[in-house]
Amino acid sequence: MATRSLTWFDRLDKQNRYRMSLLAGAAVQVLILLVVASQVFDLRVVEDYRTTVGNLETIHLRRELIGDPILLALVVVGMALPFTSSKLRREPVLLVALQITIAGLVFFVVWPLGQVFVEGFKAAQGAAGFSLLQFEKLLESPMVARASINTLLIGSTSATLATMIGTVVAYTLTLSDIPWKRLLRVLVVLPLVSPPFAVSHAFIMLFGRRGLITYDLLRITGWSIYGADGIVLVQLISDIPLVVLILMAVFSSINRDLEDAAGDLGGRPLHVLRTVTFPLVTPAILSAWLLSFISSIADFGNPMLIGGGFQVLATQAYIQLIELFDLQLGAALAMILLVPALVAFILQHWITSRRSYISVTGGARTGFIRVLPTGLKVPLFGMTFVLAAFTILVYGSIFVGALVRVWGFDFTPSTENLVGLVTAIPQLRNSLIVSIGSGVVGGIIGLIMASLVARERFPGRGILDFSGTLMYAIPGTVVGIGYIIAFNAAPYFWTGTFFIIIIAYAYRRLPVGLRTAVAAQKQLDPSLEEASLDLGASRIRTFTQITFPLLSRAFFAGVIYIFIRSMTDLSSAVFLNAGRTQLYTVRMFRVMVTGNPSEAAAFAALLVVIILISLGLLSRITGKSFVDLFRV
Amino acid sequence: MEPAEQFSTASITLEQLSKDFGGLLAVRDVNLHVEAGTLVCLLGPSGCGKTTTLRMIAGFETPSQGRVRIGEEDITEVPPYARPTALVFQSYALFPHMNVFENIAYGLKARRTPKAETERRVGEVIGLMELTGNEKKSPPQLSGGQQQRVALARALVIRPKVLLFDEPLSNLDAQLRVRMRSEIRDVQRRLGITSVYVTHDQEEAFSIADVVAIMNQGRLVQLGTPRELYRQPADRFVAEFVGLSNVVPVELVETRQDGTVVKVFGQTVRSRRPPRDPAGSLAMVLRPEALQIARAEQVGVPARVRTLSYIGPIARYRVVVEADGTELIVDHSNPGPDEFYPEGTPVWVKLPAEVPSLLSQPG
Repeated sequence: MATRSLTWFDRLDKQNRYRMSLLAGAAVQVLILLVVASQVFDLRVVEDYRTTVGNLETIHLRRELIGDPILLALVVVGMALPFTSSKLRREPVLLVALQITIAGLVFFVVWPLGQVFVEGFKAAQGAAGFSLLQFEKLLESPMVARASINTLLIGSTSATLATMIGTVVAYTLTLSDIPWKRLLRVLVVLPLVSPPFAVSHAFIMLFGRRGLITYDLLRITGWSIYGADGIVLVQLISDIPLVVLILMAVFSSINRDLEDAAGDLGGRPLHVLRTVTFPLVTPAILSAWLLSFISSIADFGNPMLIGGGFQVLATQAYIQLIELFDLQLGAALAMILLVPALVAFILQHWITSRRSYISVTGGARTGFIRVLPTGLKVPLFGMTFVLAAFTILVYGSIFVGALVRVWGFDFTPSTENLVGLVTAIPQLRNSLIVSIGSGVVGGIIGLIMASLVARERFPGRGILDFSGTLMYAIPGTVVGIGYIIAFNAAPYFWTGTFFIIIIAYAYRRLPVGLRTAVAAQKQLDPSLEEASLDLGASRIRTFTQITFPLLSRAFFAGVIYIFIRSMTDLSSAVFLNAGRTQLYTVRMFRVMVTGNPSEAAAFAALLVVIILISLGLLSRITGKSFVDLFRV
Repeated sequence: MEPAEQFSTASITLEQLSKDFGGLLAVRDVNLHVEAGTLVCLLGPSGCGKTTTLRMIAGFETPSQGRVRIGEEDITEVPPYARPTALVFQSYALFPHMNVFENIAYGLKARRTPKAETERRVGEVIGLMELTGNEKKSPPQLSGGQQQRVALARALVIRPKVLLFDEPLSNLDAQLRVRMRSEIRDVQRRLGITSVYVTHDQEEAFSIADVVAIMNQGRLVQLGTPRELYRQPADRFVAEFVGLSNVVPVELVETRQDGTVVKVFGQTVRSRRPPRDPAGSLAMVLRPEALQIARAEQVGVPARVRTLSYIGPIARYRVVVEADGTELIVDHSNPGPDEFYPEGTPVWVKLPAEVPSLLSQPG
C-alpha cells in the first residue's frame, strides 16, 4: 500500500471515505434499478375516451404506464438478498456482481419460466387470474394425453437403451484391451455435437421411403423409418455419446486397488464386477439415464422430422403455438413438458451431490486396462465398431448427399446444392451474430458466477449454483414459449430481435459456461487471488489482472461451447426468430421438411464443417484431445 | 479364543523372480525365503521393485521368470482370488459402498461361508482389532487409524496363510504411524502369521521386521537382521540407505588372520571381517555415533566445525577434515554444557579403533 501513489480517495479522512463509499454504493443501486425499470416499464399513449360533437369525433388520448410491477418487485427482492450477509456488505464489488447476476437470473430465467405456468393456469387467453379450467380441459383432451404418454415413452425407451449400450461401450473404450481404441472413441463421441436433426435427415436419406439402403439396395417396401422407432433410433445416436462420456470418466477413475482387494480376498472376476465395480458406477449410470431422458424428452427436431405424425409434447407445443396460434395451449403443453424434465434434473442433482464413490486419493491407481477373454472381447468390440460405423454412415451420407443432384432420385454428382447455399448467407450471418453474441455474453456471466460460486461463501450460494445449472434441464421449446409470453408484448416487443435470441441462448447455455469456469476456478490456487488482495490490489484489479488472465482459456472454451450449442439449436429458434432474424437451423429445417434431400444435406454439411472448425479451435485453445473436449 | 491355533501359516519362497514391464526390468532375479511365522520387510527407495515383488506374491502381476511358492505349493500360475494371501493396501482400498461389517465380511461372502460362521468370525476379528461399535459405519466416517484397522481385519478374517502389506502406514501422520506399526507387529506375532511388509521407511522397517531385505534397482541387495544391515552393510548403497553414514576411502595396510588393517586420515583402523573383494579399492563406513569429537584432548584427526545442529539428546556436527577437505558427520550424544563447538572451531575427531566391516568398491 505504501508505495502506491495516493488518489484523492486515499487523501480523504476515514469518515469521509466511509460516506463516499456509501454514496457510491447507493448510486450504483439506483442505477441498476433505473436500468431494470426502464426496461420493465413504458409510457404509452393510449386512447382514453371519444367525444362526438356533430359529425366530428374527437379521440382523447392519455399517457399510461404499462409494465410488469411484479417483475420489478422480484428484481428488487433479489437485489436486496445479498445485503443480508455482513460479509458481502463489506465487499461492495462482490455485492454488486452478485446483485447483477441475481437480477439477470430473475429477469431471464425465473420470470419467463414462471410465465409459462401463469399462462397455463389462466382461464382463457388474455384473461387475468388463476383457474383450473384450462387444466381440466387439458386433462380431458386426448391429444394432450397422447402427447404426454408418447413423450414419456420415447424418453424412457431412449434413455434406457442409450444407458445400456453406452455403459457397455464406455467400459469397452476405457478398460478393455480392444484395438483402435482412440479412433473408436472419437467416432463414438462425435455425434454429440452434430446438429441433432441432421442425424434424422441422414437416417431418412438412408432408411426412408426413398432411402439408399432400404429402397435402392434392399428394395424394402411397406416398412418405414417414420414413427416412434425412428425417433428412438435417431435419439440413440446422440444419447449414447452422452452416456459414454459420463461413464468413460467414471470407469477410468475407479481405484484399481478396490477391484484388486476384492480379488485378493477371494472374489472371482465376475463376482468382483457384480459386488464392487458395478455398485461403484451405479450413481453415474443413474445420472446418465436421467440426463439422456432430459435430452430425449426435450428433443424437437428429430420427432418433427422423423416422427411421421407421432406427436410428442415438444412438437405439439410448436404446432399449437406457431401453426394454430393457440398461445395458451402451447404454454400448457410446455408446462407439462417441464414437469418430468425438472423432476429428472432434481433427481440427477441429488444423485451427483451425494458423496461420490469415485474419488481421487493419494496412491490410488486408476485406468487399469483389463485383459479380457476373447469370448467377451469380440462382442464388445463388435458393438463399439457398429456404433462407430453409424457415425461414419451418418456423416458420410450427409457429405455425399450434398454432392449429388437429388438424393433418392437422381444420384448424378453435382455441386449445384453447394452453390445453392449462397441463398442462405443472410441466415448464416444471423446465426453467427447470435451464436457469437450468446457465446460472449454467456461466457462472461458464467465467469462472474463461477468466481462467486467457486470462491466465496455467502448465504444462498447453493441456490445460485443450482439456478445457474437449472436451464440445462429446461427444454428449448419451453424456453422459447416462456420468452414469447414474457417478452412478446408491451413494454418489451423483443421477439424477433437479435437481442432476445442472444439472451435466450446465453442463459440457456449458461450451465456450460458456468461448469467450464467453475472447473477452471477450482484448479486455480486460491492463494494467488489472496496474494493479490493481500498486496493491496482491489477486487476489480485482482479479477482483471490475476483471475481473468489465468482463466482466459476456460473463458474462451466456454464461449466456443456455447457458440456450438447455439449454432445447432432449433427448438428455441423456431419460437424466437422472425423474418429479419431467421436463423440458419430454421431455414435448414424447412428445407429438410419440404425440399430436396440433397439441398438439405448441403445445409447440414456446412453446419458440420463449421462445428468441426470450432472444435479444432477449441482443441488448440484448451490443449485437450478431441474426446476430452466434450467432457463438460 | 486362541487365534494362533486357527491359522495355518506357511513359508514363502521366491525363486529367481523377475518382472519385465515391456523392457523395464522392475524386478531382477530375486531369491528370497521367508520362514513361516516371520515378518520380512522389503525396504528400498521408490521404484526399486519392492511393490512389484509383493504384487507378484499376491498374484496381481505375473512373473516374467521364476517361481513363487507358499509352503510346498507352487502358486505362480494361480489367480489372485485362489491364493492363500491377503494384502493390506496402501490406500486401504476399503469399499466405499459398504459399511465396516460388510467390508470385513467381503472375503468370507466371496467364499460362500455360512452366515452364522461369517458373523462369528467377523465379530472375533472386530474384537481383535478393537473396532467394536463401528460395524455400521461407512469407511469415510472412520479415522485414518481405524480405516487401517478395518483393512487389516478384512485381510485377517479370511485366515490367509500369508499376510502382505503394501506401505500400509504411508497415509497416516507420524505419531499414528508409530502406534499402528507396533499394533501390526503385535497382531502378527500373536497370530504367528508369515508376513511380507513393503516400506521405504528405514526406521519403520527396522522396528517391525525380523528380517529386512533391501532392494535397489530391481535387485535384492542385502538380506539380514536390522543389526546386521546396520553394522555390516554389503555396499555403499545399503550403508547410505540404512542410517546416516560417512563412507570414506581407505588404504589397505595388511591382511592378518584376525582381520584387516587399513589406514584412513593417517590413522590405522582394524576390521575383523575381511572385505568381500580385496582386489578393488576399499572404503569404510564410519557411523556418526562411532566418531568422537573433542577440543581439549588433541587425539585423532584435526578438523574444523562447519555446522552444528541440536537434535534432542545429540549435537550433530558437520566437520571438514583439515588434511583433505573431506566432510564428516559426527554425533555427540549427551554433550555437557561446555561441550558445544560453534562454527569455525578447530576440533579433533577420534576414529574408532575397530569397525565391523569394510566395503569393497567396484572399479
